[in-house]
Amino acid sequence: MYVGQPIRRREDVRFLTGRGLFVDDVQMTQPIAHAAFLRSPHAHAKIRSIKTERARGLPGVLTVLTGADWVRQGHGEADGVWPVNDRSGKPARTVNRPFICVDNVVRCVGEIVAMVVAEDRHQALDACEAIEVDYEPLPANVVTAKALDAGTPLVHPKFGTNEVLETYHGNKAVVDEAFKKAHHITKLEVPTNRVTASPIEPRAYMGHYDPLNDRYTVWTTHQAPHIVRQYFTRSLHIPEHKLRVVAPDVGGGFGMKLYHYPEEPLVLWGAIETERPVKWTGTRSECLMGDTHARDHYTVGEMAFDKGGKILAMRFKTLAAFGAYESQWQASITNAYHFTMLSLAYDIPGIFTQVKGVYTNCTPVDAYRGAGRPETVYQVERLIENGAKEMGIDPFELRQKNAIPPEKIPYTTAIGITYDSGDPPELFRKMKKLCNYEALREEQKKLRAQGICMGIGICGFFDMAGAGPVKMMNDLGAKIGCYDVASVRVHPSGKITVFAGSHSHGQSHATTWTQIAADRLGIPIEDIELVEGDTDRVPFGIGTWGSRSLSTAGVAVAVAAGRVIEKAKKLAAHMLECAPSDLVIENGQFIVKGTDKKIAFAEVSNAAYHSGDRPKGLEIGLEETAFYDPTDCTYPSAVHLCVVIVDPETGHVKLRNYWSVDDVGRVINPMVFEGQVHGGCTQGIGQALMEECAYDPSSGQYLSGTFMDYAIPHATDIPMFGVESHVTLTPSNPLGAKGGGESGTIAAPACISNGVIDALYHFGIRQITQPMTPKKIWRAIQDAKAGR
Amino acid sequence: MPSTKVSMKVNGRAVSAEVDTRTLLVHYIREHLKLTGTHVGCDTTQCGACTVHVNGQRIKSCTIFAVQLEGAEVTTVEGLAKGKQLHPMQAAFSEHHGLQCGYCTPGMVMSAISIAERYKGKALTEDIVRHELEGNLCRCTGYHNIVKAVMAGAKAMGG
Repeated sequence: MYVGQPIRRREDVRFLTGRGLFVDDVQMTQPIAHAAFLRSPHAHAKIRSIKTERARGLPGVLTVLTGADWVRQGHGEADGVWPVNDRSGKPARTVNRPFICVDNVVRCVGEIVAMVVAEDRHQALDACEAIEVDYEPLPANVVTAKALDAGTPLVHPKFGTNEVLETYHGNKAVVDEAFKKAHHITKLEVPTNRVTASPIEPRAYMGHYDPLNDRYTVWTTHQAPHIVRQYFTRSLHIPEHKLRVVAPDVGGGFGMKLYHYPEEPLVLWGAIETERPVKWTGTRSECLMGDTHARDHYTVGEMAFDKGGKILAMRFKTLAAFGAYESQWQASITNAYHFTMLSLAYDIPGIFTQVKGVYTNCTPVDAYRGAGRPETVYQVERLIENGAKEMGIDPFELRQKNAIPPEKIPYTTAIGITYDSGDPPELFRKMKKLCNYEALREEQKKLRAQGICMGIGICGFFDMAGAGPVKMMNDLGAKIGCYDVASVRVHPSGKITVFAGSHSHGQSHATTWTQIAADRLGIPIEDIELVEGDTDRVPFGIGTWGSRSLSTAGVAVAVAAGRVIEKAKKLAAHMLECAPSDLVIENGQFIVKGTDKKIAFAEVSNAAYHSGDRPKGLEIGLEETAFYDPTDCTYPSAVHLCVVIVDPETGHVKLRNYWSVDDVGRVINPMVFEGQVHGGCTQGIGQALMEECAYDPSSGQYLSGTFMDYAIPHATDIPMFGVESHVTLTPSNPLGAKGGGESGTIAAPACISNGVIDALYHFGIRQITQPMTPKKIWRAIQDAKAGR
Repeated sequence: MPSTKVSMKVNGRAVSAEVDTRTLLVHYIREHLKLTGTHVGCDTTQCGACTVHVNGQRIKSCTIFAVQLEGAEVTTVEGLAKGKQLHPMQAAFSEHHGLQCGYCTPGMVMSAISIAERYKGKALTEDIVRHELEGNLCRCTGYHNIVKAVMAGAKAMGG
């Protein structure tokens, strides 16, 4: 069996030897021209005029294009994959993110105003500088919490408000009643900071048009190439059969590389105009301002407890930033992934949440690893932590008291989502042992007596991963079908190529998908290769996001492989003169049970293609495709715990320990799974302690334009992790697997915040917003000491 | 823009070219020599994806002009393996799952080899490795397995 083994990755060698093929590495026979973009330096401004004459005359310049050209040529826009749906019945106020400014108003820093295509990158950049744009700056609104205040500048004045939509969910009557009879109520501001995924590979696109054959090709840093191809039917009105989209090796995506970004159709437009391959590779500055941002919720919450620490109810009000426009998947956060998971790992009878989406003059917000659940876990877990402390109950004990007991699973939350599997109390028990909780509390006491501020942070949650099923996701607003696709092609030699609609940009599918296929087919893993990321080779696919690929594409691989074996067995039985049910497959051989009669898989596969002697009605060939629509989402769960040491003199946080106990169901490759947890936690730690897409509140200027200003964790910021698993299988797919990709980013922000507050609670500190930088922590300590 | 002739040795091979004077070493390596294993991840010398060895020292190839390297010996990630035989540090990264998307990996490996060489015969601790990796950013692995790989690779290199 390959499944369950920590098999070394089959994709490693090409990356380790510099033979990966990323978009920027793609070579062409025709010389590649380069695109550069002129971007708005203002958060909000009217464009009085754009003069491109001087730029057009510079050496090497092939074309200069603006929004006026885009409109004149009749090109389109990209509407939402997950369109906004205002649940109160009012129409949502949607403005799609434009590819290039078409209405002479720019609404965030970085918005594209013009494109230059030139022979080389330097010439294109020089020409951008020669374009003269006359801006009339307008007042900007970049503070989410104030977006709906009277007098705040309007991003889209035609609506008369910055509100995009309002949604509310939960059992309000139960909540109101619970708050009336509560023994204790905890109230807290729990905003989540604006961050961005920042994969180390910048976004990059190359477009090519072959006018003689009327064929288009796009190479893109993307997580879902078939979705891109469909988008081009709306942006440049290119039908699918004319367009090949290739997402080759992609250097990290984290949800951020899932959109039809402005530069993607623009480079192809440039290629059509110049009849040259045209490439753009983002600089880090362009990426930090143009990649979708994430989170940015302003939330106030309240939690009601009974005398013994049982949570009775909670309620929240959230302003969810959309940025200047609606990005294509943004509403998957507000309308699907944020409110749904509010109950976390706890049995909470009353939950009510109101969310208002708001426009600000900032980069559009969209999904980033966790998408809505990091916000959810943070807002609930911060209330639990403070509530426990205010009531004098050990926070671990209070969580255990509220954890959903296994006998209540399947458990339907007050929001209406049903967790199909899991055992939260066992996760807490395992964690208590793993971290030696009592000893940590003793150590904390001892250190505090010496003036050392040690804190213990805890959190527990359920995640909603593995989107679909199609119908459920449609009901939650998705316009795309959330299933996935795999083909298993057996060649006459018995070697196999698997084609999958998922896309690996670090997730190790070349290893894990072939582990699944090898087990199903009973043949060595070395005989199987995986193809992903090419719309001309893979039948279809919804792509990799939302911890969904294993429970959709991975299962599709298993289903298609199962069908291949069923068919091959019929042929093998015919060749061995037995019944198909008499056959077992082991090590590449079909064996008649209880005998020494056998036939090699390769002999059968050759016969499948080349022999006229086959059972009546059996089609020639050996290849099967499965479109797999799961019966439910998957609901992975976890408990995370950290130890921090806060230096009260400097405000610096030393993260000393980080442990997790995750239930992701069946683990295909534990080495890969643990790697996912390490990486996710590190991103969550970054969100908690250092990352922020900052805007100057008065000018709207973007302040986080380089890795000197936008801090992502370095090796020195991160400890070794302690990762454990507890397995309960989900009944929603035949592998029993749940999504394991997002646990870290979902849990770590809350976990770290609770740890820092635990370290500083004795100063009287109750909340420090993220990112908890040394400066903010030091200020909080000074304020607390001064009684402010 | 003015161009300048520059000659150097890359992965043991003598190369010479007339380049736009403002060409960075990383662009020379990637675009002129078509050695695309060396990557660019930032514009400000933070990420280290472009790390190569120049005369035996690790440097960030995005922060030096090609014309500054007249007569230099440059090693890129493509110059490490001998045929199908991985360099011990490359093997250690695979063994310990020290890479996911693979984009920062070439720079990480070049940096790691330099660490191993400089600490040969000295005790290489987790703290030292983390400190030494200050100039290399990874967004996938959380560094846990990279640190393990560097320690193991250094040992395999005879440290």
